[in-house]
Amino acid sequence: MNDNVIVEATGLCRQFGKTPVLRGLNLSIERGMVVGLLGTNGCGKSTLVKCLLGLLRLSGGSARLFGEDPWTLSGAAKARLGYVPQDVKLYPWMTVSQVIAYTAAFYPRWDFQLSEELLQRWDLPRDRRVGPMSPGQMQKLGLILALGHRPELLVLDEPVAALDPIARREFLKSLLEVTQDEQHTVLFSTHITSDLERVASHVALLKDGKLALFDDLDAVKDRVKRLRITTAQPLPGSFAIAGALRTEVEGTTALVAATNVNEPMLTELRSRWQADIVVENLNLEEIFLELHQQPARS
Amino acid sequence: MSNLPLQFEIHPSSGVPIFRQIMDQVRAQVASGRLKPGELVPSVRQMAIDLAVNMMTVSKAYSRLEAEGILERDRGTGMRVRAVTTLSASVADRQLELRELVEHMVTRGLQLGLTDEQIAAVVKTVLKERRS
Repeated sequence: MNDNVIVEATGLCRQFGKTPVLRGLNLSIERGMVVGLLGTNGCGKSTLVKCLLGLLRLSGGSARLFGEDPWTLSGAAKARLGYVPQDVKLYPWMTVSQVIAYTAAFYPRWDFQLSEELLQRWDLPRDRRVGPMSPGQMQKLGLILALGHRPELLVLDEPVAALDPIARREFLKSLLEVTQDEQHTVLFSTHITSDLERVASHVALLKDGKLALFDDLDAVKDRVKRLRITTAQPLPGSFAIAGALRTEVEGTTALVAATNVNEPMLTELRSRWQADIVVENLNLEEIFLELHQQPARS
Repeated sequence: MSNLPLQFEIHPSSGVPIFRQIMDQVRAQVASGRLKPGELVPSVRQMAIDLAVNMMTVSKAYSRLEAEGILERDRGTGMRVRAVTTLSASVADRQLELRELVEHMVTRGLQLGLTDEQIAAVVKTVLKERRS
């Protein structure tokens, strides 16, 4: 198989009891990609992550991680992987330093200089016991443990949910530093679209158990637009544009969110309907809302 | 002048891809003379960390500016503002770029019930005011 494909899923299915969560999902993450995973609450983001990492069995289809079956992942592959779950759980009686030393012992290439630097930057006291730490501090520690061996693949399940804005920004910068050589691959789920827009090269949108969108982030922003159309003559109720997510027509005006907007298409629309078209850029949050067909009228 | 990325401001949620925002701001700074010919722009790494954006985003912006002839790669030191920024595009190409805006204007003019001559007259008036 292609050495550059780090994570791959083909027809991946997972159900809990009789409830299907993932329904034949396809995904291919290549080396150097920083993939942001979006989706509504309960849509299966964590389930997907766990299936890809071999923490949950698949109900159908297949998954590959570094070319191996995640369920029987070799130690060598695990050493190349860093994972921070949504809820970081660590031995409560250990201190921060002890947890780091304990974790580092499992990795042949632990970077103590990096873990020390991150401790300082993220303001985590070394001698603090893990037990009484706040969720935010636990998340920071979890991130240090995952970043400390500079893994080839970093998988983060809502890494910044419990972090304050300052810690979030510090985390983003650390993430960017660790991934700067384009040899590192990141998959992270999040609800904070502005963070995703900063660091991600690709965006994946999970909906109805499949990926409704998986593409280069800049390409998505360049082609998904909202059009405000004003015409000389009233528009027919059947007015439609290829690739429209949502169309609202009222007399001589129409509001359309479309996934494949380009110049030839706009020129055609203008001449065909004698239309005045205002093209609005959409940010990721708006695209997310449009893809879920919720009226996001401003 | 220092070549810190401080003059750059990024709005990740603006809907405009971040690499385009960086390109627009470099172009504007070159046009306004704040970035002078021969001056180094911030390194890809420095820019990415300071703005907290993906490094590939910054290098994409720089590569496109290089292709446009606004920046040039100086081996070993980084990217510089090109000494002579000439208009490399032909008249036809530049007219093509204007065309989109004009189409927009013409549509609105026709909607307002203006004749061809009346629309052209507006353009001439604006040009006259600009020249004087």
